Amino acid sequence: MKNKISIMALLAFFQITGMFAQQREVTGTVTGASDGMTLPGVTVLVKGTNNGTVTDMEGNYAIDVDEDAVLVFSSIGFQKQEVPVNGRSVINVTMSEDLEGLDEVVVTSLGIEREKKALGYAVQEIQGEDITKTNQPNIVNALQGQTAGVQITNSGGAPGQSARIVIRGVNSLDPNADNQPLFVIDGVPVDNSTIESSGTPRGLSNRAADINPNDIESMSILKGAAATALYGVRAANGAVIITTKKGKAGDVRISINSTIGFEEVNQYPEIQEVYGQGFGGVYDPNSFWPNWGPSIDEIREIDPDAEINDIWRDAMRTGVQIDNSFSISGGNEMATFYASLNNLDQEGIIPFSNWGRTSARFNGTLKFNDKFRVAGNMNYTISGGNRVPHDRFMERMIYNTPMQDINDYINEDGTMKSIGTNTNPIYDARFSTFEDEVNRIIGNMKFTYSPSDWLDVNYLIGTDFYTDSRTEITPGPLGIEGEVPLSSEGFITETRIESRDINSNLFITLKKQWDEKWNTTLRVGNDIFERDYELVEATGENFVIPQFYDLSYASQISTSQDKRKKRLIGLYGDLMVDYDDMLFLNITGRNDWTSTLPKGNNSFFYPSINLGFAFTEAFEMPEVLTYGKLRVSYAEVGKDTDPYRIGQTYTSPAIYPLGGEVGFTRFSQFGDLGLKPERTTSIEIGTDLRFFENRFGIDFTWYKSNSKDQIIPVPVSESSGFSTFITNAGEIENQGVEFIIRGNPVRTEDFTWNITLNAAYNQNEVVSIREGIEQIQVGSQYGYAGSTVTMQLIEGEAYGNIFGSSYERFGADESSLFLNEDLPIVIGEDGFPVRNGEQLILGNSTPKWIGGLTNDFSYKNFDFSFLIDFRTGVEQYSQYDNFFSAFGIAEYTLNRNETRVFDGVLADGSPNTQEVWLGQGVGPDGRDYGAGFYRNTYRSVSENFVHDASFIKLRNISLAYNFGEKVLNSLSFLKTARVSVAANNIILYTPWDGFDPESFSAGAGGNATGFTGLGYPGVQSLFFTLNLGL
Amino acid sequence: MKILRQTYNYIAIAGLFLTFSACDDYLDINENPNNPTTAPLAGLMVNSTFETAQNTFRIGSTTSYYVQYLASPNQASATDVMDPLSFSGTWSALYDVMTDLNDMILEANETGASHYEGAGQVMMALNLAMTVDAFGDVPYSESFNFETITPTYDDDAELYSRIFELLDSGIANLSQETDLPIESDDFIYNGDAQKWIKFANMLKARYKNHLSQTDQYNPAEVLAAVDAGFESNADNAQVEYFEEEFNPWADVAINNADLILGGWISEQFVEATDGTTFGVVDPRIPYMIGATDDGEYIGVPNGAGRGTAAASGERSTLETGDFYSSEQSPILIATYAEQKFIEAEAAFGIDKTRAYNAYLEGIRAHMRMLGVEPAEIDAYINSPEVSVGVEDFTLDLIFKEKWVAMFLHPEAWVDARRHDYDYENFDLPANVNPDLNGQFIKRLGYPDSEIGRNGANVPDVTLIDPIFWDE
Repeated sequence: MKNKISIMALLAFFQITGMFAQQREVTGTVTGASDGMTLPGVTVLVKGTNNGTVTDMEGNYAIDVDEDAVLVFSSIGFQKQEVPVNGRSVINVTMSEDLEGLDEVVVTSLGIEREKKALGYAVQEIQGEDITKTNQPNIVNALQGQTAGVQITNSGGAPGQSARIVIRGVNSLDPNADNQPLFVIDGVPVDNSTIESSGTPRGLSNRAADINPNDIESMSILKGAAATALYGVRAANGAVIITTKKGKAGDVRISINSTIGFEEVNQYPEIQEVYGQGFGGVYDPNSFWPNWGPSIDEIREIDPDAEINDIWRDAMRTGVQIDNSFSISGGNEMATFYASLNNLDQEGIIPFSNWGRTSARFNGTLKFNDKFRVAGNMNYTISGGNRVPHDRFMERMIYNTPMQDINDYINEDGTMKSIGTNTNPIYDARFSTFEDEVNRIIGNMKFTYSPSDWLDVNYLIGTDFYTDSRTEITPGPLGIEGEVPLSSEGFITETRIESRDINSNLFITLKKQWDEKWNTTLRVGNDIFERDYELVEATGENFVIPQFYDLSYASQISTSQDKRKKRLIGLYGDLMVDYDDMLFLNITGRNDWTSTLPKGNNSFFYPSINLGFAFTEAFEMPEVLTYGKLRVSYAEVGKDTDPYRIGQTYTSPAIYPLGGEVGFTRFSQFGDLGLKPERTTSIEIGTDLRFFENRFGIDFTWYKSNSKDQIIPVPVSESSGFSTFITNAGEIENQGVEFIIRGNPVRTEDFTWNITLNAAYNQNEVVSIREGIEQIQVGSQYGYAGSTVTMQLIEGEAYGNIFGSSYERFGADESSLFLNEDLPIVIGEDGFPVRNGEQLILGNSTPKWIGGLTNDFSYKNFDFSFLIDFRTGVEQYSQYDNFFSAFGIAEYTLNRNETRVFDGVLADGSPNTQEVWLGQGVGPDGRDYGAGFYRNTYRSVSENFVHDASFIKLRNISLAYNFGEKVLNSLSFLKTARVSVAANNIILYTPWDGFDPESFSAGAGGNATGFTGLGYPGVQSLFFTLNLGL
Repeated sequence: MKILRQTYNYIAIAGLFLTFSACDDYLDINENPNNPTTAPLAGLMVNSTFETAQNTFRIGSTTSYYVQYLASPNQASATDVMDPLSFSGTWSALYDVMTDLNDMILEANETGASHYEGAGQVMMALNLAMTVDAFGDVPYSESFNFETITPTYDDDAELYSRIFELLDSGIANLSQETDLPIESDDFIYNGDAQKWIKFANMLKARYKNHLSQTDQYNPAEVLAAVDAGFESNADNAQVEYFEEEFNPWADVAINNADLILGGWISEQFVEATDGTTFGVVDPRIPYMIGATDDGEYIGVPNGAGRGTAAASGERSTLETGDFYSSEQSPILIATYAEQKFIEAEAAFGIDKTRAYNAYLEGIRAHMRMLGVEPAEIDAYINSPEVSVGVEDFTLDLIFKEKWVAMFLHPEAWVDARRHDYDYENFDLPANVNPDLNGQFIKRLGYPDSEIGRNGANVPDVTLIDPIFWDE
């Protein structure tokens, strides 16, 4: 080791002696202020040059400098120090720790590390430890509540189910557009798409779920367009920059983590447990209707053994998650390595739903010589599981009567036990399988050539390749007399997806230190991206041999194929100027060329400029203000579209060939021949203030972004000749503020307490819609008898409005789009509320405020932390509630046999006094009420099912104990040991009646978040973790 | 040093330009490899003939409950009780076929393929008429060619003029010589232009007869079209189904046999044919519907559900093996029997003897089509309830027999509405939708998709507002 250092020193000596005279060697040791331990890896730079070194494992350094030079010591987590040499030859330095370091280095575009203070825009970094602490297998879930202005929505509690991330609101109105940020690992973008199954939603994974959270060193969230101008169109919604762990020079380190977790449903809907099977209050054990019969007491007079079970709780399981990971790392000054293995297995709360991931990673760096360095990363992942279709499972739960043991689902001969010919959901979950297996390789290489101290040439090339094999089987009849089969014919669908991304990025960095104060860096580069995607699907129906599931033994076969290829080329330039560590200016420009837009419209240029001003460096400020900076930025970014969306085409429906003939039909989608790129312009102003020696800090940002020429597949009347018209259809504006407040109220040797509050407010408006289009339907969800709700875009209104039917209001403003709930309800001549079928705005599904509060306590060997997150000002349509009212499941339907006078007024404005019965059939007053209030009226009014979906959650709470030296010394092989227990989502406070309102059915890829569907219920979980360092 | 720097700069710039100039070719990959930009006429013909049959089924699968051929085994089922439903799927299927027919007509016109053009016009008339008869005012004049994304709704009576124009031009085009004859791509007539012409005339008779309650009704014109129409069951417009794709009613029957319930026969239909209502047993029953395990025919009352009956074996349902619901059964689009009943109705006020004979021939034609034994046919025809004689012959009898012969067909609902659902013993379903004010349903509501996408143009109607020919 020492030899190598001397060789390096010698090399450095020769290099430098060629350029400078009158130099001397300075040596020293760097230690940390709090514990006095030596600090390895501290950067020692001669101020104003690129001449420098780093401290070795023992914290020692040696450097040749001019006698009047100034040495700059810096390291992440410590305050930077400048020390004049003044002719000394030994300089020992003690560095003090930084709460949230002013000199914090964050990773920005292209994997470039920059000091946070030099940035003219907001960026937030999350450490790997904060990711793994949440025990979330999916790194997107792990970000929940940890970052300002970043909304994470769990699409449901299924193992491996996708989670959605949206930064600063939705930019693209296209219901299927990916509004999620670009994911970048070690400088190379990777695929985070969610490819949902066709047909019933199965809660598939967003591909970032393939990443092992234990491999992550840190994640930076780049929010505004300014932060992402250099990644081009793909980062128009921001970027999540992931840096994976690298080996460090020194001893080989081994780390072992083991976690076991348990989960269950965190909230159930309120259901009635009084009324049983039948209709009109008449008991019928064969009835299709599960809950419109008489009360259980009356049923017992007919059938004394009858009982009503809570089938919802009975059907759900306790989920189990086991996660083991192992890593080994090390290296020397020339080469480092990091290798890891991870295995995760998860069983979900819905029976037979499971997911697993096995991943292996190798990261290596090699410093060939001072001019040439190579780094390579390779990750291989196998992931997948059995995706139980939650919508179908839950829908079947609704149809099944509670007067049965829902777990008693199978007969001895393997056929289904069925009541009223309903499909038992657990039997279906067990035998109608959908299994996916993803095999994925993410690899990249980075070459850095530094021929001189003012020039770096970097080349990054990476690939992200995966195959996704999906097999869906629905059994046909087993051939047993009297069985109720899952399907008359049965089918098998084999889907094979192959996707390959290639990213190539060449960039040249020119640095120039003009004098003591002026510094410039210019970067120019070229970026090429290609995605090649292919899906082949074959379906076989009618199995020749029951239970022998193979395409070759199915009598009806149909196939389909989908090929997609997209290319992007970008050229960019980035100029950074800084003056005296006080004023930072950054100008970027980029031109993109895309294959997906028509020629003539496929090239687009966009600039950005941002300025940071550390005013505490320039002016005298009161003592309490340690540091203050103002940021301002302006940026534009373009956005292209998917391949093959231009013009009119024909397609052959999947049922052909029939009788040897192939039929054609006009494809239902038409793409505007003059389609232009979308453009987002954003302005951001912010400030970063630190007080009391960094023990208190406020970061505030205001932003406004306008996305014009939105590319939207507008659903149009099918009578026009198409059902979808893809065009530049509108403009959306997002405006908001973000706060981050940090504090360090206690900092003693034994006890520290850090607290971080982040909160963001977002407001959006559809500024304009293309002429000729009055409204754009973003999504819709079924409701009974005309209670279907839609999300519609209307000029001047917000994104996320939920439209549907309501109760007629007396004196309502005819021209208003909004339902005025304060007005009295109009009661009809029949004594029941009058339904208004006109589509009014009943709520909005975009939260106004989102945020989180993190508290970290450390006392001696104990670490304790908790994270609370919240969202407010958000409404959702509960499809569960709609079905629960239609089927008499909801608790409020207990009043079904009551007589009441509805509160409201008659058409002439006089108060309603008519008494009516809510039940079915002939009431006590002799009048025939038909199917009763809940089926005749209640279920047909969307207003009844659009509820406040705000919540406050104890997202995560954890307690850890780090074993002290006594234990570690007795087990000499151990360097560190830590045990922890953590719980997620154990407290949910919400006005919402139903499963966790966070779940929604559309999956992470979709923008129609206003509907719960019959989604996979949200879960709470408990984890026990052991970490060992060897 | 300076020179070195400049050299690097030049290399960098040159490198960037190299990538730049190769850009155009590199990016020229946006031609869709999955979908072609043109469709062969034969491909459009295949899909249009198949989907026209499918549309007949799609509408029939709802209207068969309204005219009480079928009844739901579940109490208060939405279709049975005439609740408002959204027919977005059916609407979309109708406009898909009409859009393809529009393209086929235009392309055939350009290439001089007059038979394709003519057959396209006939099918366009048929699909448009099915749409109008179900929904009333619908978009047409601004449709299909993407002139606007919010086509206006044309008046239903006005659209009937378009239907007759389409049929007339269809007949003219099919009568021309052509170098591009239709072949096996035609699932209805296998390219037989003469049969297409008869079919066009049959449809003309059908739609002119729809006007019976309007002042435009001209029975002589109906009879003129009948004379140029079908001559026997061999001319029937129908699509026979495939090994790869079963008749959709067969799928209903197969599912029901596997206890995925559907295709249960209404008590109304059973009682009308088993002698309960009319005192004569119709020999067609076993050819059309299934019996219980005890060999009886028992229906389910509409809206009331199956009550205590088991899920299988205790009620009549559609079954494979029967005429309408076997795997490769045809979907009947227009039949000789239907034309005979149209003739009977049109001739009733002009030549009652012709009407009576046409009525009897209509019954026979339907029975022959089902394969009923000649002796059974004669026995039924000769029964006093059927052969009432010209004197006692009534329009009610035509409607009653036509109702049996149009089993599962959407035309039955047009007849029921024209006849004010005035069949013997024909009652409102149990648990009927209270918003109908004690009436039968008179139209389908516009689908949610239209209300969401073209709301400003969608007429404001209720389910008891009649179509123009029913006013």
